Amino acid sequence: MSLRTLLKEPLVHFLVLGAMLFVGYEYMNRGSGLETGQIVVTQGRIDSLRASFSRVWQRPPTPSEMDGLIRDYVREEVLAREAMALGLDRDDIVIRRRLRQKMEFIANDLTAPAEPSETQLQEYLVKHSDRFLVESRFTFRHVYLNPEQHGDTLQRDVATLLSELNRPVAQGDFRKLGDPILLNAELTDVPAGEVARQFGDEFPRQLERLPTGRWDGPVMSGYGVHVVFVQNRIPGKVPDLSTVREEVARAWADARRREDSEQFYQELTKRYAVIIEGASSDAEANALAAEAH
Amino acid sequence: MKSRVVPAMMLGGLMGVLAGFPLSAVADGTAPGLSAPERETVEKAFPSKPPYSPYAGRNFPTRPFFGDTHLHTSYSMDAGAFGARLSPRDAYRFARGEEITASSGQPVKLSRPLDFLVVADHSDNMGFFPDLFAGKPEVLAEPTGRKWYDMMQVGKGAEAAIEIIMSFSHGTFPKALMYFPGTRAYRNAWQETIKAAEDFNEPGRFTAFIGYEWTSNTGGNNLHRNVIFRDNGDKAGQVEPFTVYPPMGSDNPEDLWKWMAAYEQKTGGSVLAIAHNGNLSNGLMFPTVETFGQTIDRGYVETRAKWERLYEATQTKGDGEAHPFLSPNDEFADFETWDKGNLDGSVAKTKEMLEFEYARSALKNGLKLEEKLGTNPFKFGMVGSSDAHTGLSALEEENFFGKTTPQEPSPERMTNAFFDNPKTGVKVMDWEVSASGYAAVWATENTREAIWDAMERKETYATTGPRMIVRFFGGWEFKPEDAHNRLPAAIGYTKGVPMGGDLTGAPAGKSPTFLVAALKDVIGANLDRVQIVKGWLDKNGEVQEKVYDVIWGDADKRQPGSDGKLPPVGSTVDVENATWTNTIGDPELITVWKDPDFDPSLRAFYYARVLEIPTPRWTAYDAKRFGVKPLPGTRMTLQERAYTSPIWYAPGT
Repeated sequence: MSLRTLLKEPLVHFLVLGAMLFVGYEYMNRGSGLETGQIVVTQGRIDSLRASFSRVWQRPPTPSEMDGLIRDYVREEVLAREAMALGLDRDDIVIRRRLRQKMEFIANDLTAPAEPSETQLQEYLVKHSDRFLVESRFTFRHVYLNPEQHGDTLQRDVATLLSELNRPVAQGDFRKLGDPILLNAELTDVPAGEVARQFGDEFPRQLERLPTGRWDGPVMSGYGVHVVFVQNRIPGKVPDLSTVREEVARAWADARRREDSEQFYQELTKRYAVIIEGASSDAEANALAAEAH
Repeated sequence: MKSRVVPAMMLGGLMGVLAGFPLSAVADGTAPGLSAPERETVEKAFPSKPPYSPYAGRNFPTRPFFGDTHLHTSYSMDAGAFGARLSPRDAYRFARGEEITASSGQPVKLSRPLDFLVVADHSDNMGFFPDLFAGKPEVLAEPTGRKWYDMMQVGKGAEAAIEIIMSFSHGTFPKALMYFPGTRAYRNAWQETIKAAEDFNEPGRFTAFIGYEWTSNTGGNNLHRNVIFRDNGDKAGQVEPFTVYPPMGSDNPEDLWKWMAAYEQKTGGSVLAIAHNGNLSNGLMFPTVETFGQTIDRGYVETRAKWERLYEATQTKGDGEAHPFLSPNDEFADFETWDKGNLDGSVAKTKEMLEFEYARSALKNGLKLEEKLGTNPFKFGMVGSSDAHTGLSALEEENFFGKTTPQEPSPERMTNAFFDNPKTGVKVMDWEVSASGYAAVWATENTREAIWDAMERKETYATTGPRMIVRFFGGWEFKPEDAHNRLPAAIGYTKGVPMGGDLTGAPAGKSPTFLVAALKDVIGANLDRVQIVKGWLDKNGEVQEKVYDVIWGDADKRQPGSDGKLPPVGSTVDVENATWTNTIGDPELITVWKDPDFDPSLRAFYYARVLEIPTPRWTAYDAKRFGVKPLPGTRMTLQERAYTSPIWYAPGT
């Protein structure tokens, strides 16, 4: 089909207009600019250009910069209109994805959830308690043993170290015992996740099981073997809603937004009969289209 | 995270044995040869008379924070076009450690959370629909608006949305509900980006920075910068990001710096810029003679040094620390090299361009410019980051989610071309994309302010993905025994300056000494070696460089040969099964090194490079997991690494 005949196609006109309806939505509300052959740079547009420039540069544009902004706006307008008239916006993957994204933004905006009730938040917290757990916190000291340097005597060395450290009257500085390592020798009131990041995932799990108030071990880290003095341990728990209300409300709103957006898509999909060539039935095609993302 | 200072009251019982705390063993707190502001900082941190409590005054950073200063989401036009579906909110959730669904539909989760993230989208002011339903009085006054609002209140938001869309397409949308662009009701992507960062920023636990990427790319030559705000939304929200298209924007970095200055002046806030991918700038990233038709002058070098405190030296589109052509004696210089052309492959690379593209040569040329113009424009610290366009900062070799959405895990990414320009012959395959890297920041706590301040003082290092811990201090008084001290950080800050700092005016007869320490990633590979890279300006005004192996693993059985070269650490990688073992190398390396070739009259810089033992590259995991045969030439192993910010030496005046 030649470009000339393409341009005469009523379907093309319809599609172009349809696209403009969305892309050019802002023109609608001023009722200007859509007429062929006329570009009106409204005072509102000029103000908007000036405002945008000022927000970028922290000063208003000079008269010649203002001329430049308007000139550029007109250029963009001319080329954008001509491009759309040629249908260049169709079958353009960038534009299609942008339009899809804009629809999703609209869905997000328009389906913005209402304020949750106390009950809704409480239910959400209970249902997703694992996401809001307050981690255990530890205050502990440790002495490190590099397995490579102890070889076969590692087990014995751990035992010796423990009996030395647990003597009623300790001798010397625990920091000088064992092998050096760049980690801090004592950590104060540190959440389990932080311990895991520094010592590896298994370490805080082992700390959970150690007695407090005495040196114990061995405890394995990503670096080797440690003996540990847990001075204090505050167990983790599911928090009261009052202490995590903001977090729960955010997660609740986030979940609702997802559900609403999905529902929005499902509603829109109902307006279409989806035909997939090669599919065994139309029902199958529609089911495929409606499958949640 | 709060700094871990142990209250004195906790020191009873067993802890009464703390005699000989290392701080009392170090020098008296004066640090010769430090520049004035640094001496002031050190003296503040360590007053000359030690306090009774050995823990008082320990306010130096105790662990590095790991993050990504450069992540794109679907809000970036190109990322969206590639098929990215994740928003800034998704990106923050993922970085905080949640499992989410990638754009390709696969579940994905980090091995452990990141500490901070900058969502740095190309912000182009995309307009959204008006925020109709915030319950604004003018909306509620209109009956249809009221009706929709009520529907949403009872959980029929999606239904209301459909009605609204229908009313648009039928032209029956109530005129009274229309808003004009530029009014506050008209939201845009930038405001949404800020809001996401505000929602996810949790001081002490996770820092969500506000930022954007300024994408200067004229002629396909990459001059991109990421702009990072120290501030919260109240300040950042007062401005629009700087763009590249005139008349609103500009592709010249000097105009970006003007924008940064205007922002700070207007709001009292703080911003810094981080450039990246000099390797794709075709010789324009680090100019020494002229730029954008202007001679490099005093104004240029001073302004650049002020705003560009860091450089992103490693990322998915290639490593930018060094190039084998520029550093022929550096056997590790050829790492994840991308040197075929510029960003879009429209112009092929020539050898003459390389000098102005790589971090090490820029650091060297910076010394030259400082000699000539009084300021070093390329006095930057190092970070790594992703530049992923997926909303996923997933840079581990065994958990790599690609640079773009089509490069998320699939059998095809082993064999597809990323881009291919037949005219110039520039062709880059997906397998060449590098699973790199992260930024490590020595901040005192995990907050926007503390991390940003550490970036500003360049107390940072780049990693190509693993989270190894690297300390690097320079001073005049480090002794070999300092390497055996149990608190290297305390002694490092007391007797010297950390990475990113300055040494000036060598005391008579002294050479600079460096305390360098590295600990492997707790779940990662052992370390091969620590090197110190020295660059200097010689007596003839020529730049020079040398790489020193200063400490290495398996030292009991591995020593430099007669050629002075340290033999390779070996390899335990089983490529076919994508496994390796920590049976070679060492988990921790620490030493004090003294420059054996020091001349106090010559400008110099020093930075540490830490190499891991060889491990499987992401391509090996893909070959194994997807059962795909790699193309000939595909790299299947690598030695991950870290680059610290340099410490600079300048002769005294």
